[in-house]
Amino acid sequence: MTNREQPANAPEPTSRGKIAERLLPGGEEPDPRFTLANERTFLAWIRTSLALLAGGIAIEAFTSDLFLEPVRKGLAVVLLLLGMLLSAGSAVRWLRVERSMRNKAPLPLPLIVPLLAAAGALAAAVVLIFILWR
Amino acid sequence: MLALVTVSAIFLRWLPQHGLPILLLFTVSAATAAGIYFTQRRRYRVSSHGIRKEMHDADITAVLWTAFAGVMLGALGIGVVLIG
Repeated sequence: MTNREQPANAPEPTSRGKIAERLLPGGEEPDPRFTLANERTFLAWIRTSLALLAGGIAIEAFTSDLFLEPVRKGLAVVLLLLGMLLSAGSAVRWLRVERSMRNKAPLPLPLIVPLLAAAGALAAAVVLIFILWR
Repeated sequence: MLALVTVSAIFLRWLPQHGLPILLLFTVSAATAAGIYFTQRRRYRVSSHGIRKEMHDADITAVLWTAFAGVMLGALGIGVVLIG
């Protein structure tokens, strides 16, 4: 049997959408469990991003008697910006992992992990400095 | 979906301070949550059929829409904090 021939019980190839053809070109469909696991990981990152968005809003709305206005606004913007970047980064990561799985290549390192760690440390440092200095 | 509903409820807490622009944030968040709620049965069915047939196309549109909603909420939130 040559590479082009398919076994009799092979599933029929489905037509993918234009966006999928463009963003996920080449390779072959990975095991559906892996695709769904990748989607679950994406959703976990989205939940983290939404938690950061909610945290940013909470800081701006509830801590007016605790922090000075510039500190409060700065922290809120850092958290909202981080939530926004995580949201975009999680989609990029999903895409890179999906491409790797389609091409049977090694999975890429998660770039959003150091981003989250660095920005979380920055926000904690700002709060710590403010508390010690106050 | 529940996280988006929670975030949309927290946005309402901003209403007294920042006024009507907050309704835009609330609408984006609530509409995304509603979109997920009303399509989840179909997506679950497609996923379970995909596992059974050992073939499942990645749902790239849903991923991109969800990420876009997160970016929009963040950008609008920053706009409200800095301008509003």
